[in-house]
This record gives sequence, structure tokens and C-alpha cells, in this order.
Amino acid sequence: MSAYNKMVAMIEDTITPLAAKLGQQKYVTSIRDGFISALPFMIVGSFMLVFIFPPFDPETKWGFARAWLDFSKAYQDKLLLPFQLSMGVMTFFISVGVAASLARHYKLDPITTGLLSLMSFLLVAAPIKDGAISTQYFSGQGIFTALLCAIYSTELYAFLKRKNITIRLPEQVPTGVARSFEVLIPVLAIILTLHPLNLFIESETGMILPQAIMSVVKPLVSASDSLPAILISLFICQILWFAGIHGALIVTGIMNPFWMANLADNQAALAAGQALPHIYLQGFWDHYLLIGGVGSTLPLAFLLLRSKAIHLRTIGKMGVIPGLFNINEPILFGAPIVMNPVFFLPFILVPMINATLAYIATSMGLVARVVSMTPWTSPAPLGASWAANWAFSPVIMCLVCMVMSAMMYYPFLKAYERTLLKQEEESAAEAQAGEPVAA
Amino acid sequence: MKKIMLCCSAGMSTSLLVKKMLAEAEKRQLPVEIKAFGAAEFDEQVSKYQAVLLGPQVKYMLADLQARAKPYGIPVEAIAMTDYGMQRGDKVLDFALSLIK
Repeated sequence: MSAYNKMVAMIEDTITPLAAKLGQQKYVTSIRDGFISALPFMIVGSFMLVFIFPPFDPETKWGFARAWLDFSKAYQDKLLLPFQLSMGVMTFFISVGVAASLARHYKLDPITTGLLSLMSFLLVAAPIKDGAISTQYFSGQGIFTALLCAIYSTELYAFLKRKNITIRLPEQVPTGVARSFEVLIPVLAIILTLHPLNLFIESETGMILPQAIMSVVKPLVSASDSLPAILISLFICQILWFAGIHGALIVTGIMNPFWMANLADNQAALAAGQALPHIYLQGFWDHYLLIGGVGSTLPLAFLLLRSKAIHLRTIGKMGVIPGLFNINEPILFGAPIVMNPVFFLPFILVPMINATLAYIATSMGLVARVVSMTPWTSPAPLGASWAANWAFSPVIMCLVCMVMSAMMYYPFLKAYERTLLKQEEESAAEAQAGEPVAA
Repeated sequence: MKKIMLCCSAGMSTSLLVKKMLAEAEKRQLPVEIKAFGAAEFDEQVSKYQAVLLGPQVKYMLADLQARAKPYGIPVEAIAMTDYGMQRGDKVLDFALSLIK
């Protein structure tokens, strides 16, 4: 058995079932889907950043830029409001979104479940002082609390429903009215459990729950923004995809809370006029490591267009346009790259080498850091610039990554092309030799 | 009218294939409705269709989704890797039709 076959067998026996379990784990999928439903609010919310912090040199003499800068400075508070009420309260969207997704697993009403989750989050994360609610934990600092509250309140609601613990009204009562009474018990149960817990933790540690949770996960959060974290998460994603499993789905499901917490940090730093602390965020992942989709195959798609083998040329034609928008299943399954030993090395290594380059360049300050939420379907150089508040350096970084990818894929593509050409020649020769007999 | 549902992670790459399948169906003058969805929408959508095809990248969900479609008696199968990669609308359409009894 060759080393390659051994590896494939290993992937099929151990990694695939594990990925299937993890990829369908109810909390992982609910967190992922919940974030997806919160995404539009965050994308538009962070889009506002560019109005508040236009991408011009503060000393610029150019009239248009000067006017914009002066305007945004004069009206900064007013311009900030839509941003603060989307990104600044991201936990609201997340707690409702995640709980509503989890509700599906238990066949609970998503609206009720979402509202229960929001209430339980507010109960522990929104202390009122002098008649005003503190917003401190509504953004990145509160994400992990929001997730835990969503899971807790949904589980509690599901449990009560399963055990049939509810207020039953006579059958003559309209269903709408009956349903609103049904929810009384879960609401009460949440208040009676979470509020004392919060008070207890506060009296013991001097911290309210979100503060305590944040101090517990802090080492994880800071570890999540490092080159090893990038390489490990990327490696898992690439190996899974090589086995034909949607690895990004699993990795982003796990990384999202960390990315979001770090994004909130970066945005707060930008608003305070400080240096941005974090590098590894969603925008870094999407626009440097998945250029044209997982494995950074967009440059490969361009190479395929000019291949001598008809099969590869066809795949290139099919794959290049979707690839611009980071959809590359035609290439992965068509070339194919999935389970194809020739492409194993470049497919795994290209994004990892690009990740290392981009990480080093960003940490050296050569490339602007991510500060905005962007759609993963934006073409890579455009998306990278957008994510960094329309700085130009990410475009160059992206182009460097693309050239690197093309150079690394090229020799492997040539080797694969040679085998295919040989096959095409043989089948053509066979068809010719076979013709007289058939006739 | 035959109703076919395609399903992948976000319904993006399957929607490419939907176009090819619809073009093929039109060529054969077959009345069909084909739509693509993300896996998260599976439960809400499945009962409205007669057959469900999965993108190979979410094949790992096959057993689970089959179980979820069983109460409705709707078949769920994964699309062959090469047919998916080559975007063979004709073959995938044939496959889907073969599942509809």
C-alpha cells in the first residue's frame, strides 16, 4: 500500500466520520447559522465605518477628501449611531439568531426561542445604573455570553416542553392566547435560574457573568489570533476539503465567535484612534486564504483556461467566473482536485504559505488590518480592500498571494496535464483504430 | 410538474447546476421545478419537493438528511462527484428523475 493510499484510507476511516459528527453537531451548526443570519446587519453596520473614517490621509489637501474628512469629523457622533446600533449590539442579533437556529433542532417556535434567548442575555449582561443600561457587553465582549445564553435558554425551553411543564388552559381558549401563556413558565424559569447565578457570581468574584466568562475565555481568544491558530485551522479545512468534505463550514463555525470578538476589538481601536490589535479575522481568512474558494484556486482556474488538455480547458471555462466570487466546486470536483494525489501538496500548501506571508506582512505593518465585515463572495482583492476600510495595501497583498498560488500550482498542473494528454491521445487513437471495425 | 430540490452548504454552487438542469429540461420540454437551498433550510423546504440531491461536499450529511426526509417519503441522494464538477445538467437531471417514482 502506497503512502498516498494509506493517507486516503486514514482520512476515510477517521477524519470523515469525525467531520460528519462535528459538522452536524447541533451547537456548531446553530452557532454557524445564527451568525449567518446576523451577518447582513454587521456588513451594513461596518460599511458605515468608511463614512466615519474615510480612507484618506488626514493631512490631505485634495478638496473632495478634505471636505469628507471635515464633515465626518464634525458629525462623527451622529454618523456613529447606525454603526453602534448594529455592530455595537451584535450580541442581540447573535443571541436571537443562534437560538432560533437551535430551535429548529427541537422543533420549537423560532421567534419565541429567539426572544427567550435575548431576554436571558440581557438579564446577565445589561446592568442598569442610574437609569441607563450599560452597553459594554453588547458587542464583542459579550459574544461568548450570548452564545451560552442562547444554548441555555433553548435547552431549558426544550426541556420544559418535553416534560410538558406548562400552563394549560381550557380548550376553548384561542391558540394564540394559549401559546402566550405557555411561554410564561420558561420566562420565569430563566429569570429564576440566571438572575441568582449572576448575583452569586458578582458577589463572589466582583464580576458580572459576561465579565467572568470573558476572563475565562481570554487565553483562547488571544490564542485565536496567532500564526499557529491560522495554520491549524487552515490545515484542518484543507484536509477535509481534500477528502471532499466542506471543511470551511466546520472551521468557520468554530472560528466565528473568535473572529467576531476580535473584529469588535479592532473597530473599537479604530474609533478610539488607536492601532488595530488583531490580524486573524474573517476578512483575512476569506480574502487572502480562500482566493477563488478554498485552496485559493482562482489563479489555477486562469491557468486551466490555457491548458492543452481539453478536459482541463473545459473546467477552466466553467470555473473561472464562479471563481471570481469564491465559488470553486466546479474546479474541486471537476478537475478534480478532491482526492487527486497530484494536487494534494499544492492544495494543502498554497493557502498555508500565503497565510504565513500575509500574517508576517500584516504584523510588520506593511498591510492594513481588517476592520470591516465583508461578504465572502466579494472578489478577493476587492474584498480584502473593503475589509481594511478600502486601504490599498491589501490589494497588493492579495495579488502577491495570487501570483504565489499560480507559481505553486503550475508544475503540478503540468504533470497532471501530461497524464491527461496521454489519455486523450490514447482514446483518440483507439477511436480511430476502432472505426473500421465498427463500420 | 416534477419538483426537485438541490442542497449544499449555502445553496451557491448548486445554483450553478440548477441552471444547467433547467436548460436541459427545457430542451426535453419537461415541466420541472428545480431550486437550490442551503442545508440550514432543509427542514422547511423538503416537504415541498419530490426528490432531493446533495452536493458532494455535504455528502457527510446524507444519512441525517435522509432520516429527516423519511417521514415525507422523499428520497435524498448525493450527486456523483464528477457529474457535479463537470456540471452535467443532463446526467444529474436523469438521476433526479430516476428517484421520483
